[in-house]
Amino acid sequence: MLEKPVAESPWWRSLSNPRLLGTRLSSNVELLINFIVVVATIVFILSQGSGFGIRIAQLFAIFAILAVSLNLVIGYTGLLSLAHVAFFGVGAYSVAILTTDAAYEQVPGHIPHFGLSFFTALFVGMAITGVVALFVGGVLSRFRDDIFVLVSVGFAVISHRIFLFWQPVTRGPFGIHAIAKPEVGGMVIDSRLEFLFLTLAFLVIVFLISWLIVRSSFGRVLMAIREDEQAIEVFGYKARYFKLTIWVISAMMAALAGGITASEQTFIDPQSFVLLESILLVTIVILGGLGTLWGSLLGALVFVLLNEGMRFVPFLPGELIGQARLAILGIVIVLLMLFRPQGLVGRFKL
Amino acid sequence: MKILNADKRLPALPRSIIGHPLVSIVVAGVIIYLALLLGQSADQFLQFSINGIVIGAIYAIVAMGFNIVYGTVWFFDLSYGAMATMGAYSVFYFTGRQIQTVGRGEINNLYLDIFMGILIAGVVAWVLYVWIYPELRSRINRITLLAVGALVALATGAYTGLILAHPADLNVFLSPTIGLLVATASGCVLYLGALSGIGSGRGLILFLVLGLPGALALGGYSGWLVADTLSTRLYLSWFMGAILAGASGLAIYRGVYFYLRRQARSPLVMLVGSLGFLLSITAFIAIIFSPDGRPLAQPFGTVPWSLAGAFIKPFQVLIIGIAFAIFGGLYLLLNKTSFGTAVRAIGDDEEVARIVGINTPVVIAVIFFLGATIAGLGGILLGEDIGIRPQMGLLLLLKGWIASVVGGIGNIYGALLGGFVLGMVENYGVWYIPAQWKDAVAFVLLIFFLSFWPRGLLPRR
Amino acid sequence: MSEAGKQQDNEFAIQTRGLLKQFASVRAINNLSIALPREGITSIVGPNGSGKSTLINLLSGTLPIDEGLVIIEGMSLRAILPYDSPNHGITRTFQEVRLFDQMTVLDNLLVILTKREVFGSLFEPPRASYRNRARQLLDSVGLWDKRQDMAANLSYGQRKLLEVSRALAMDVQIYLFDEPFAGLFPAMLERVKGLLEGLRRERKTIIFIEHNMDLIRQLSDYTFVLDSGELLAEGEVQEVLAKPEVIEAYLGT
Ligand SMILES: Nc1ncnc2c1ncn2[C@@H]1O[C@H](COP(=O)(O)OP(=O)(O)OP(=O)(O)O)[C@@H](O)[C@H]1O
Ligand SMILES: [Mg+2]
Repeated sequence: MLEKPVAESPWWRSLSNPRLLGTRLSSNVELLINFIVVVATIVFILSQGSGFGIRIAQLFAIFAILAVSLNLVIGYTGLLSLAHVAFFGVGAYSVAILTTDAAYEQVPGHIPHFGLSFFTALFVGMAITGVVALFVGGVLSRFRDDIFVLVSVGFAVISHRIFLFWQPVTRGPFGIHAIAKPEVGGMVIDSRLEFLFLTLAFLVIVFLISWLIVRSSFGRVLMAIREDEQAIEVFGYKARYFKLTIWVISAMMAALAGGITASEQTFIDPQSFVLLESILLVTIVILGGLGTLWGSLLGALVFVLLNEGMRFVPFLPGELIGQARLAILGIVIVLLMLFRPQGLVGRFKL
Repeated sequence: MKILNADKRLPALPRSIIGHPLVSIVVAGVIIYLALLLGQSADQFLQFSINGIVIGAIYAIVAMGFNIVYGTVWFFDLSYGAMATMGAYSVFYFTGRQIQTVGRGEINNLYLDIFMGILIAGVVAWVLYVWIYPELRSRINRITLLAVGALVALATGAYTGLILAHPADLNVFLSPTIGLLVATASGCVLYLGALSGIGSGRGLILFLVLGLPGALALGGYSGWLVADTLSTRLYLSWFMGAILAGASGLAIYRGVYFYLRRQARSPLVMLVGSLGFLLSITAFIAIIFSPDGRPLAQPFGTVPWSLAGAFIKPFQVLIIGIAFAIFGGLYLLLNKTSFGTAVRAIGDDEEVARIVGINTPVVIAVIFFLGATIAGLGGILLGEDIGIRPQMGLLLLLKGWIASVVGGIGNIYGALLGGFVLGMVENYGVWYIPAQWKDAVAFVLLIFFLSFWPRGLLPRR
Repeated sequence: MSEAGKQQDNEFAIQTRGLLKQFASVRAINNLSIALPREGITSIVGPNGSGKSTLINLLSGTLPIDEGLVIIEGMSLRAILPYDSPNHGITRTFQEVRLFDQMTVLDNLLVILTKREVFGSLFEPPRASYRNRARQLLDSVGLWDKRQDMAANLSYGQRKLLEVSRALAMDVQIYLFDEPFAGLFPAMLERVKGLLEGLRRERKTIIFIEHNMDLIRQLSDYTFVLDSGELLAEGEVQEVLAKPEVIEAYLGT
C-alpha cells in the first residue's frame, strides 16, 4: 500500500554518483527534502560536538516515538486527536509514581510509594494507559470531525488538570523528583549515551510494530475507515473496534515515550503535559506527512532541528525561544495546508 | 474529490443514545443539587451565580462570534482565540502606561505599527475594491477611481500606523475621526429631518443655513471633548482593539481561508489551518509583549457593589449589558435586514446563494469581520476583568466552542444560552472542589451534553 | 410457520413489511411492503426522489429503519446494522461513487477480501490468494494496469467499474446496485452488463436501480416501480412499463 511505482534503481545507488544524485534530487521533491533534512542534521551535530548530538538525538527519539504513534491515529485512521499528550503524561506519571521508594515518605506532601523497578513500572504504566485509553476511546468513538477534535482537547485539558491538582497522587505543581533509572542485568543505565541507546531501541521497536500494523490487512482497513467509515462498515467491518484497537495501541506507545522521558529527566511536572504539546505533536505529524511513518521521523527531526537551531538565532532572548518556535510552526502549518497538504513526504491529504 | 453533500455539512454530531426519560432524571438531579447548594449557603450561592453570569456573558459573546461564522461557512475558526488575545493586548498597548507594568510594558514597537498599518490599508483597499468600485466604474474613469481608492487605503493605513505609534495620545489622534463621525451622523439626521419635516425646498435651505453648521459644530465640539478628556482613552482603546481584531479576521479570511476553502476536502483542513494562525499569532504576541500575564486598568474603579450578601463590580454589570447588546444587534442584523437573509442563504447552501446573485465573498468577509470583532471584544472584556496573558485566547476559544456546542451549533440564540449555562455550571460545579477544576468541569459538561443532548439546547432549524 | 409458508418465503430473497423512513420533512419510504424475488435480476424504477436509493440504504443498513420489518432468508429483522449486512448475504454499491479515494485501486479491493475480525486481520500475512482474486476482479473490469493508481485519480467510469467490482468481491447472495450504469460510456456499459449477467448465471439475486428504459427491458426479469416512497406497480418488465399509471408517474412529474 505504500508501494510506489517501481523506481528504476534504488535511491541509495545514486549516492555514489553525484551527477545521478543531482538529477534525482531535482526531479524528486520528497527525496530532496529527506536529503536536506538529514544533511542539515549531520552538519549541525558535527558543528556542535557529541554532547550536543546526544541531546538532540534523545529529544528526536522521544518525539519520533510520539509522532509515529500519533500518525497511526491521525494519518492512517483519520482521527485528528489532540489527546495524545494525555497518554504521554499518564505513562510518565505512572512510571514516576510506581518507581517512588521509601525516600518519598520524608518529602513534604508525600505520595504513596511502590518502589517498582523501571521496566516493571513501564510495563504497568503502559497497561494503565491502555485501560485509560480504552475508556477515552469509547467516549470519543461516538464523535467525528470537529466535534472529535474538541472532545479530544477536552481529555488533554482534563488530564493536565488531574496532574496539576490531584496532589495526593501527583504532588501537583511540585512535580515528582528522583525517578528511578532503568537497570539491565544489575547495571544501571544512567549515562546519557546509554540512555540514548535504550530510547533508540524502543524507537526501533515502536517503528517496526507500527510498520507491521500499517502493512497488515488491519492497516488497510484503518485507511479505509479514514476514507469512508460508512462505506467500509457496509462491507462487514466493525469500524468502531478497529478504531478502538489502534487508539489503545497508539496510546500505549505514547505511554512508553512518557515513561522513558520521566526516567531520563528524573523529574516531571505538569508543565510538560499541556495541551500545547499535543498541538505541537499534531503539527509535527502533519509537517512530516500524514499516513507515512518515515514522514513522522522526518517531522520529528525537523522539529528538533528547529527547536535547537533557534538557540543560535542572534537577538533572540532565551525565554522566547519556545515562542519563536511556535510562531514558525504556526506559519509552516498554514503554508502546508495551502500548498502541500500531504506534508513534506506524505501521500495522504487531510 | 469528495463532494460535500448537505448531510456532510451539518455538524458532525452523533445520534442521542438515550431518550427523554434519563434527560428528565438528570434535570431533576441538577435541580436537587442546586437546592442543596442554596440550602447550604444562600450568600455563596448568589455569589457563585453572579460569577457564573458574568463569565457566562463573556463566553456567550465569544460563542456568538463563533456561531455566526460557523453557521455561514461551517467550520470552527480557531484563530478567534488569537483575535481575542489581540483585542485584549491592543487595550494594553494603548493604556498599559496607566498602571504598574512589569517587564517590557513600555512597548511601542515600530514594526508592529507598520505591520498593522499595512494590514489596515490592505483591508480598506479590498473593501473599496469589491464594494465601491463596481458601483462607480461605469461612471468615472477607472484609472482615477483606482488611484483615489489606493490613496484612501494608504491614508487610512498611515493614519492607523500613526495612532499606533502614539499610544499615549490615543484620544488626541482619534478625535478628528470621532468628530467627523459625529458630524456626519448628526448631519444626516438633521438633513433627513429637515427634508421630511418641512419639505424639500425650504428644508434644504434651512438645513444649509442652520443644520450644516450645527452638525459641524457638534462634530468639532465632540472631537475637542474627546481630545481633552484623558479618561476616554480606555473606551477608545476598546474600540481600536475590536476594530483591529476584526480587520485581522477579515484579512485572514481573504488572505488564506478563501483559498483554503476552495481546496479543502474536509472541515479538518480549515481547523488545522486556523490552528496554525492561533499558534503563530499567540506566539508573536508573546514575543512582542512578553509571555507573562498582567492586569489591565479596571474601568469604573474596583469598588464592588454589594447585593444581598454578594458582590458585583460595576464593570461586570457592563459586561452582561454588552453581551445582550451584541445579541440584540446580531438579532436585528441577521433577522431584519437583507444582509441577514443573504447570510442565512449562504449558510443553507453557498452554491445556490451564489447562483441567485448574492455576492458571497463579500458577505462572508463581513461575517468574518463581525465575528473577529466580537471575539476581540470578548478578549478585551475578559482581560479587563481578570487580566491578560498571551495564552488567554486558547482557553477562551475552547470555552466559546463548548458554549456554542452546548447551546446549539450555528445560531446566536444557542450561543447566548450556552454561554450562560456554561458559566453557571462551571461555578456551581466547583462548589465542593477547588476552583481550579473549572476547565475540567466545562469539558465534562461538554461530553455530557454531546452524549445526551447532541444537538444542543436550541438547535438550528 | 407452516410448510406452505416456508415454501413461499423461499421464493423471495428479501421481503419488507410496512417499511417506513422519515426524513426531516419527507417520507422517503412510506409503509412499503414488497417481496423481491430470489435469483435473477430485479430492477427498481421510479422518478427522481421516489425513495429507491433510500430503500437500498435501508436494506443494507446504511440508514436505520424507522418502522417496519425486513425479512431476509426467512429471518425477520427490525434493525439492520451496517456491518451485519454481509452476514445477511447483502452487499451494495452507492449511487454517488464512494471509493476509498486515497488508497490504491488494488487496496480498494484487497480491503474487501481480507479478514474481518480485528485481531484476525492484525496478524494476517499478505496472502497470494487475495491478490489473485483481486487480479481476477480487476481484470474483469480492465483496471489491473491501474492497480497502483490512487482511486481518486481514476476517471468517473473507471470509478464506477471499480465500485461494481468491489461489490463482486464480497461474494454474497444478494447484490444491490444503485444506478450502476449512470454516466457510463457504451463500452463500459457493456462490461457492467456482462458482470450482472455473470452473476445471474451464478444464480445470485441482483437488484438494480436504473432510469434507462432500454437497459431495464434488456436486463431485468422482474420490475418494481416506486413513487413517493410507495409501490406503484410490480411484475414482468413489459407489462409493468406499459401500465398507464407508470407512464404517468414518469412523464407527469
Ligand atoms: N440523508 C437524507 N436526508 C434528508 N432527506 C433525504 C436524505 N436522503 C434522501 N432524502 C430525501 O428522500 C427522498 C428520496 O430520496 P432517494 O435518494 O431515495 O431518491 P431516489 O429515488 O434514489 O432518487 P434518484 O433517482 O434521484 O436517485 C428525496 O426527497 C430526498 O430528498
Ligand atoms: Mg437514488
